[in-house]
Amino acid sequence: MSEITMAPSSTASTSWLDLARRHRVLLASGFVLVFPLVMPFTALAVNILIYGLYALGFNLLFGYLGLLSFGHAALFGTGAYVCGIAIVHFGLPWYAAIVLGVLGALAMAALIGGLAIRTRGIYFAMVTMALAQCAYYLFYQAVGWTGGENGLRGINVRNINLFGLTFDFINPLTRYYVVAACVIAAFFMLSRILASPFGAVIEAVRENEARARASGYNVVATRLITFILSGGFCGLAGALAALHLSIVPIEILHYETSGMVVMMSLLGGMGTFFGPFVGAGVFLLLENLVSLWTVHWQLVVGAVFVACVLFFPAGIWGTLLNRMKP
Amino acid sequence: MSVSEPSVILRTTEVSKSFGKFLALNNITAEFERGVITSIIGPNGAGKSTYFNLLSGAFAPSRGRVEFEGRDVTHLPQHRFAHLGIAKSFQITNIFPQLTVRENVRVGLQAFVSRYDIWRPRASLPGLVERADALLAMVGLQDRRERRACDLAHGEQRALEIGMALAANPKLLLLDEPTAGMSPEETRVMMDLIVKLAGERTVILVEHKMKLVMGISQRVMVLHHGELLAQGTPAEVRQNEQVKRVYLGQREH
Amino acid sequence: MAGLSFDLIALQLFTGLALGAIYVLFAIGLSLIFGMLTVVNFAHGAFYMVGAYVGLFLVSMGGNFWLCLVAVPLAVGSCGMLVERFLVRPLYGRGIDYPLLLTFGLSYIMVELVRIAFGTSGYPFDTPDLLQGAVDIGVGYFPLYRLFVIGATALVLLALWLFLERTSFGLIIRAGARDPQIVRVLGVDVGRVWLIVFGIGTAIAGFAGLLAAPLQGVIPEMGSTILAEAFVVTVVGGMGSIGGAVLAGLLVGIVVSMTSLFAPEMAKVSIFALMAIVLLIRPQGFFGRAGLMS
Repeated sequence: MSEITMAPSSTASTSWLDLARRHRVLLASGFVLVFPLVMPFTALAVNILIYGLYALGFNLLFGYLGLLSFGHAALFGTGAYVCGIAIVHFGLPWYAAIVLGVLGALAMAALIGGLAIRTRGIYFAMVTMALAQCAYYLFYQAVGWTGGENGLRGINVRNINLFGLTFDFINPLTRYYVVAACVIAAFFMLSRILASPFGAVIEAVRENEARARASGYNVVATRLITFILSGGFCGLAGALAALHLSIVPIEILHYETSGMVVMMSLLGGMGTFFGPFVGAGVFLLLENLVSLWTVHWQLVVGAVFVACVLFFPAGIWGTLLNRMKP
Repeated sequence: MSVSEPSVILRTTEVSKSFGKFLALNNITAEFERGVITSIIGPNGAGKSTYFNLLSGAFAPSRGRVEFEGRDVTHLPQHRFAHLGIAKSFQITNIFPQLTVRENVRVGLQAFVSRYDIWRPRASLPGLVERADALLAMVGLQDRRERRACDLAHGEQRALEIGMALAANPKLLLLDEPTAGMSPEETRVMMDLIVKLAGERTVILVEHKMKLVMGISQRVMVLHHGELLAQGTPAEVRQNEQVKRVYLGQREH
Repeated sequence: MAGLSFDLIALQLFTGLALGAIYVLFAIGLSLIFGMLTVVNFAHGAFYMVGAYVGLFLVSMGGNFWLCLVAVPLAVGSCGMLVERFLVRPLYGRGIDYPLLLTFGLSYIMVELVRIAFGTSGYPFDTPDLLQGAVDIGVGYFPLYRLFVIGATALVLLALWLFLERTSFGLIIRAGARDPQIVRVLGVDVGRVWLIVFGIGTAIAGFAGLLAAPLQGVIPEMGSTILAEAFVVTVVGGMGSIGGAVLAGLLVGIVVSMTSLFAPEMAKVSIFALMAIVLLIRPQGFFGRAGLMS
């Protein structure tokens, strides 16, 4: 599952796999850039990017560190709300709003992580879920800021001014590439983290916590930092979602949004670089396709998810990668 | 041994440990001398592992004090121990299964160089890979360094654990039943390795195979029912009446 | 404070007990399942919800409430046993997260199936005839149904206590809750134990759902709300501890009802504040095993 430290294969046939791994940011970016050309609806492609980024952040915590959180909606939602509030209540420009959204999510992650981090394993899932639910109630109550039940409305970004040029954010393709730019930046950042000394610590803690501790690593601090980093990525995704939807619905903080990213992560393949995007894509495509027949698409997605848990725990991308190795 | 270094490297003073109502260790006061190989032996259930966990910082005693080089480490968090120069190996093999053998050791070395850097590529940290390879050579695993740790034979995994413990460049090496589950041949190899590595270091060894440790230890501590039954040189302990009574009828391994 | 009398506070306390009773039943099932199988049942809320809907269905078919009190736990418990045997058990040994993920996915499916069968908007649930009205409990009039809920919970607790303390099967469960390995070592058929414990746990959850139905109505989403709140109960009381679940459940119920007296908007948030405090000063909960927390 580890991408840097796994034994390199001795057969030539998979050397291109190693090559791909080393240039994964480039490959992923390339894919993202051509993606809208194969999607019938650009809006769907934007959604896949946004939720893929959400899953990417979640995957850092669950896939690489091995810590299951059921409260990531709080991080995604905080990013969205802070970004929206910056625009609606303070009239800040879009780039400042995105940055603030990320900072807000980092702060929320520090808060939730700080409280939950001394619990372990399955207990952590419960506590994060409960704390996220608390965030939901708090945001619900703060009607003046968040719009409460009706959500935060009026996040209208028309023109993006960059380097003297003006882009029309309403145009779906422009919108896609703005979001894609942020996602590519996130790819780069994630790749740095995974290749860093801290990235090695994350894997060591996942593999054997007791041994990591005996080797001199502060496991609790490692978990907390990873949780916060994960929150940053999810917050960015949330901020982009706010810009894309022009509203932030209160449901974004709901348990279902936390569950959604868990499903996407597992469907795609945990602990892989590109798996989360595959998972987000499959999830959203299923939702859109199945909705054409029946409104009960959740039944299908739930069944697919259960099937993956039972039979394909490596997810779609993960299973594919495994098949390509000897 | 320099004159300024104290001769006692580790000391426990009246340590007791209870788990709920069960008293696992009762009032153990002991000193471990620097540079010496000390073995802690006793029948199963004597409290050896509990005492070992106490010495290595896995948990704190219910009562009493643990001092390392004169410094109180009773309530020090486990992850600080490696930084003091105390390294341990576990009774049940504890390695990083999916990582390569080389990475297992490298990451142990990295703990003293960089723990929180999220930006710089770890390949740029100087010398870690070379030092890891050198340590692997020391424990005889240099030919296995590209393999996944979980693919190693049991004896090799135990050797890897020793290698990882050495990554801390420890003054004190704590080994919990290093030969557990090994064939007689593997056991011999492991024992030779331990003697070779002891050198300038202090080694505290927990074993229940008494015959094994008598040959290599300079001091022996015998635990029984959570209490310190006897301590001294191997010869002294072997002559001890109480020790003989405890081990009478038990097959020597 | 003007208008706040001892009577009012006492009445509110009783409301808290009734609310707490539902939490207790829910949390006990969770604790039992966790204690024996080391599985956090994320579908527990769904079983609770199904219990309410089965009750609704039976009543609509002409059955009476008293029949439901027996039929619902039996039906839900049987479902639970099927789930354990064919969905959860294959995941044994796979890693601690997998059963959790499975039960989570299962809850999605269960909720959607209920939506298909009963629609998405939910239904009211009439308080059974015999239990309508209010009773003078000394400090004022208190709804009879809520007294019934408290009483029914007490009876279930008593039955559970007798089962755990007085039967040999209960002994196995208690031993297993202390140390899951021991059940194996004693040569007991672990599979059968798991099956029955999961069945009892989910049966109690279904029973709780049925009891809650006249209080709050029946909607497909009722399970996820109470799940989050029950997690607060388990953190406060300690996971795997029955006694902890009881005390913490009642405490949480009382905290909610008392807070809604003074600051109704903060009522739901207050329990999470309670959880945060417990996490900070005693992360294993009042009765939990310290080993579960690092």
